[in-house]
Amino acid sequence: MLMPRKPPKGFRKPHHPKRSGMAKGGTRVTFGEFGIQALEPAYVTNRQIESARIAMTRHIKRGGKVWINIFPDQALTKKPAETRMGSGKGSPEWWVANVKPGRVMFELSFPNEQVAREAMRRAIHKLPMKCRIVTREAGEV
Amino acid sequence: MSEVRISAEPRTEFGKGGARRTRRAGKIPAVLYGHGEKPKHVALPSLEFTNLIRRGGMNQLMTVEISDGTRELALPKALQRDPIKDTIDHVDLLLVRRGETVTVEVKVTHTGEHEKGGLLVTENDSITVEADATAIPEEVELSIEGLAVGENKTVADLRLPSGVKLVTDPETVLVTLTVPRAEAAADAGEETEDAAEAGE
Repeated sequence: MLMPRKPPKGFRKPHHPKRSGMAKGGTRVTFGEFGIQALEPAYVTNRQIESARIAMTRHIKRGGKVWINIFPDQALTKKPAETRMGSGKGSPEWWVANVKPGRVMFELSFPNEQVAREAMRRAIHKLPMKCRIVTREAGEV
Repeated sequence: MSEVRISAEPRTEFGKGGARRTRRAGKIPAVLYGHGEKPKHVALPSLEFTNLIRRGGMNQLMTVEISDGTRELALPKALQRDPIKDTIDHVDLLLVRRGETVTVEVKVTHTGEHEKGGLLVTENDSITVEADATAIPEEVELSIEGLAVGENKTVADLRLPSGVKLVTDPETVLVTLTVPRAEAAADAGEETEDAAEAGE
């Protein structure tokens, strides 16, 4: 499961990251032939990333390559159940990537387009936001 | 690459509000600059410019006919796009002169068939070249005929048209034919490891 080796000092219990705005970069397919692009903002947990990766790789079986372009580097905290308010912030519970609309989260290279699209469709079902499949165009800016 | 004409209107209102009003009117805010001249702010017809970029790419040489009577030869330098709608939000146009050498990015296309059983990974799909502003190649072909698994093709393997000078490092890798990883097997391996860890 993806997570930082050690959170930077002072960032163990950060505030919730901002969900407004669009992706500033990483909006094009640059490594593979196809990509999964986010259409809504969301926090994607490391479990969701792993689940989507497994869904994709199990479908293509062999002969392809998958790239993960996001990293869950933000900790989200949670207070234990049935706890009274106060007594400080809860403990880190999830590691998430703060994904903005337009971000290409996964990329895939596979010779058969139909199989690649089906693999990505399966991966999209594991993700918490609306997504679409995008393709690479050579020399595109 | 052939030269095309595009009409433009001078832009008088600037900033976020002005740019949005321009876009609502079916135009793209643009700026023309280069050769130490003062920048000119113009609005280009959205549909016409989008089709032009779709057909000719980023190296489409164009004559911008501004409604005040001036004509400028320009090349698109930078595009700002909306990542969701894929519309063009703003264009930077660079003024060029006939016979002037410009540094541009040219896309690389693949021809031929590589060896079966490998997965072709495109490391770079464009190269930087210096060429005459009026004779920029649309694309450069890279032959991957007979490329074996584990081998790669670099920029040095390209055959550039005459009058075009390479700027990119010749050792830059363009494509690699990799051994496809048995992902399913790798997953199975991970699962066994997980089970073993849980058992401990």
